[in-house]
Amino acid sequence: MPDVTLVINGQTVTVPAGTNIVDAARAAGVAIPVFCYHPRLPPVGMCRMCLVEVWTPRVDPATRQVVIGDDGKPVMALMMGKLQPGCVTPVSDGMEVRTATEKVHVAQKGQLEFLLTSHPLDCPVCDKGGECPLQNLTMQFGPSTSRFDYGDKIHFEKPIPLGDLIYLDRERCILCSRCVRFQDELAGDPVLGFDHRGRAWEIISKSDPPFDSKFSGNTTDICPVGALTSADFRFKARVWEVRPTASICPHCPVGCNLSLDMRHDKLMRVMPRENDYVNEIWICDKGRFGMRFIESADRLRHPLIRKGDSLVPAPWDEAIALVAEKLSQIREHAGAASLGGLAGPELPNEDLYLFQKLVRQTLGSPNLDCSTGASGAPEVVDLAATLGVGRGTNLAKSGAGTAVLIMGADPEEEAPLYVLRLRGIVARGGDLTVINPYPTKLERSAARSIRPHAGFEAFAALALVKAVLDQGLIATEFVTARVQGLDELTARLREQSVESLCETAGVSEASVRAAAQAFATAEHAIIIYGRAALAAGEDVLRALTDLALLTGKAGRPGSGVIALLPGGNARGALDMGVHPGAGSRRGMGAREMWAAARDGRLRGMIIAGMDPARDNPAIAAALDALEFVVVQDIFLTETAQRADVVLPTASIAGREGTFTNAERRVQRFRQARIPEYNTPAGWEVMQRIARALPPGRSESVTDARPVAGRRAQRASGATATATMDAPPATWDYAVASDVADEIAATVRGYAGTTYASLGLTRAPEWGRQPDEAVYYDGTSYQNAEGIGIQIAATADDPKTVFALRARVPAPFTRHATRPYLLLAVTRAYDGGEWGRESKLRSRMVPPHVILSVADAAAHSVAPGAIVRLESDAGRIELPVQIEVTLPQGLVLIPDVCGTPLSTIQTGPQTWVAISRVA
Amino acid sequence: MSLLEKSGAEIDAIIARYPQKRSAVLPLLYLAQDEYGYLTDAAMREVATILDLPPTDVFEVAGFYSLLYEQPVGRWVLQVCDDVPCAFCGAEELIATIQERLGITVDQTTADGMFTLQRVKCLADCNHAPLLQANLEYHRDLTTPQQVDQLLAALRRRAESGEKLSISGRYAEQ
Repeated sequence: MPDVTLVINGQTVTVPAGTNIVDAARAAGVAIPVFCYHPRLPPVGMCRMCLVEVWTPRVDPATRQVVIGDDGKPVMALMMGKLQPGCVTPVSDGMEVRTATEKVHVAQKGQLEFLLTSHPLDCPVCDKGGECPLQNLTMQFGPSTSRFDYGDKIHFEKPIPLGDLIYLDRERCILCSRCVRFQDELAGDPVLGFDHRGRAWEIISKSDPPFDSKFSGNTTDICPVGALTSADFRFKARVWEVRPTASICPHCPVGCNLSLDMRHDKLMRVMPRENDYVNEIWICDKGRFGMRFIESADRLRHPLIRKGDSLVPAPWDEAIALVAEKLSQIREHAGAASLGGLAGPELPNEDLYLFQKLVRQTLGSPNLDCSTGASGAPEVVDLAATLGVGRGTNLAKSGAGTAVLIMGADPEEEAPLYVLRLRGIVARGGDLTVINPYPTKLERSAARSIRPHAGFEAFAALALVKAVLDQGLIATEFVTARVQGLDELTARLREQSVESLCETAGVSEASVRAAAQAFATAEHAIIIYGRAALAAGEDVLRALTDLALLTGKAGRPGSGVIALLPGGNARGALDMGVHPGAGSRRGMGAREMWAAARDGRLRGMIIAGMDPARDNPAIAAALDALEFVVVQDIFLTETAQRADVVLPTASIAGREGTFTNAERRVQRFRQARIPEYNTPAGWEVMQRIARALPPGRSESVTDARPVAGRRAQRASGATATATMDAPPATWDYAVASDVADEIAATVRGYAGTTYASLGLTRAPEWGRQPDEAVYYDGTSYQNAEGIGIQIAATADDPKTVFALRARVPAPFTRHATRPYLLLAVTRAYDGGEWGRESKLRSRMVPPHVILSVADAAAHSVAPGAIVRLESDAGRIELPVQIEVTLPQGLVLIPDVCGTPLSTIQTGPQTWVAISRVA
Repeated sequence: MSLLEKSGAEIDAIIARYPQKRSAVLPLLYLAQDEYGYLTDAAMREVATILDLPPTDVFEVAGFYSLLYEQPVGRWVLQVCDDVPCAFCGAEELIATIQERLGITVDQTTADGMFTLQRVKCLADCNHAPLLQANLEYHRDLTTPQQVDQLLAALRRRAESGEKLSISGRYAEQ
């Protein structure tokens, strides 16, 4: 857009056309006070706080020419003859804005006096006090007295719950509608509204449950008064007493930047930290309200050693010595390959790196994994490390010209903040296609929603590839330079037609062609896949890979693939080599390890930050069959209860570290408090074990490196070769940054991710004026501690070449006697350990099964009735919920705590029969 | 019996009048409040389901308009204009008379469930002030207590005669 030059308080400013006066003034360093306007929401002009004098050149109505005065300058006229609201008035050339005149001051004073007519002035007991725009603006612009009678103030019952997380104090509300607009326009959960009118106007929520949104906490941040407060923080602290500590959310692969607001060593509240590359200024409620677990009274405090049937507290030295003794004994008797290690994808990179170093290099076993190995857990296929998204991608800037394809994922449950990011792309003119076997909320924001039959997702994905080939949508230059196997692919798909593939998948050919067209012709395109795509199997991922390659949507900023893998640091776990294929010698994955444990080939295990035995009797039995199990965790999980030694560690609040998010951004979190119960960080525990081990036969150095690149190569067919320095065999880390330095020096792609470099990554200009954040943006924190470093994907290197590998899926046949396809689906509020002490407990659902209306009717079951599900693996009974938009023949079981999924799943997709029990 | 089961055809006809379903929210709320006597929580959720609207949106609309009742009302809703021109011509006297005759105050309903009295702003018929609307029927120039007595008696007679009444004013003629 062309630029517009105007004068604000005598200062000449040039801004893009379409900018409103408030933002233009901000650019010039002039603060116009606002309440309803928020730079991330469309303006509405409701509060009238931003009234300013706007002068424009007078135009002669007859000649339509600017009138020139005697001094040779245009004659200026006050727009409409009165003050104008700056937030809804766009700038124009030659405009002159005056924000500090007597007239403006009178308006500002009057407006504040008016807003305060019924305000209770209860700042001393208000949670917002100290960071309240109403307080601040009243001090700066408001009158010191009011002409209104104090006794005439309108009173409401204080406060009422708007949902179980957010309270509304109607006396304090100034009816700016920021919360309503946030829910409607950004979150896409239109659950807030206005009831009544005039003086009786008030915010209501009539969803079931009330204020049913995973983003509700953000409304308390952008509320410019103390009307909305969180149940989690109410009356906990005065905001000037808290010490904000930069942290990163460990709950999902988005990696939202958080601030843990501590008073002394107590967590008072969790707030978002601005990072346009990750979470803008928002976080989801799981991040905000799901951190109380760090202070749970159930936290492990001491090492535990098994004495007969019970675990008894023991000193650290004794526990470590026992672990070292047992592990080395097993290594001596049965060989290093009879040891295995599992580490959870929520652990920081430092822990994961030393975990794999301990297992692979020091103990000499290639058996490592970051998945639980449950029967229903899909094979992790990881395209994000190879194809991107390209380095430099910023979804907050993506919009027109970007097409996003969601394949087999429910971002709202798997990585909630992506909902805001993707809706933002759509709002800025981007194109969104959702392909998923079951309905998701994101569909409502999509240009097209494609619903393949469950089990036939690969045919839909291949139809996209075929459509690209058919419609001549190939990016010739990219394909010529960097892609091999086009002729072979064309030959493989010769017998296929888009029409027949779509028919098999049960989707509309027109939609698939439109999606392929939108994806291929967009300047930038992004694929996001998640649990349902992984469950559907490798053919889906092969097709997605080829779709990105054929259309040249890889290896550059703004394009590529994002994988929504379970856990907050799955990306880091794979990069750090906690994966059976990461070494030169392939080891056993989790599933193979359980089998080996049962038949005695595996004797000892070390498990960190993972609870594979939860709801899984088969894995629990395999654990029991092992000679020695050591578990490192922060709670006494079901797995820990079966261990021989349990080693407690600090939570992310009690140590520092780094996570790598789904877009490969390495981000650092700081230590917020002294370690709880004096527990060490996970990496320190690894070091203690390693140092206590007697020297033994270890793998050669070349064998020990975590070759992220080689695994990636296999997944996508890249011909790039990884180059990496061998890690030193020494264990002398004093602080976390020593581990990070070694990661930077040895793990492929992580060069430059030392703490020093991470701390130096400053936020670029995001339009926020320093120290004026409270006036405009509510109370999120500026990012002063580093925005992280996005490491390169394989495709970012222009020399890498990829092979096309899509293939025609094997004909998929339905089970003869079990006609329903069962999918386990992720729920953000899954009842896991993270939810201890959380206000979200009321939102967590008990185990249940979701049926379509038709299937429920066929078995004459009503909601709440119990049905029996039977598969080749076993049978379970669960209460029924009915989902109106679920396709017939598909059965969903939310993967929440207490669901015996492992009893019934034969794989990620399971054929089941249903019968009614009660 | 749900609204959809009882008045399905009428609802379809109403929805068909608009390019978007959501536009039918006001006529459906009128229908619902005639059906249930007022807009119960369940009735508003029913309308939301029929129109695929978030329930909150329907509650917002119902809360905004003075002709949508979220509390139980009588069979006749008497809405007296008390805006400036009517006030000059005796609106307060009219309200006082009605209160006295019915033994209720503003925003109350008679014990027999026949009348609800409300104050409203401007009914756009100032040249016939003071006036009221009964289920949206206009009754103009009500200057004497006798007129009020006659009006109340006539309204009561009509209700008792079995005439179909609509608190939403769907049968009102201007």
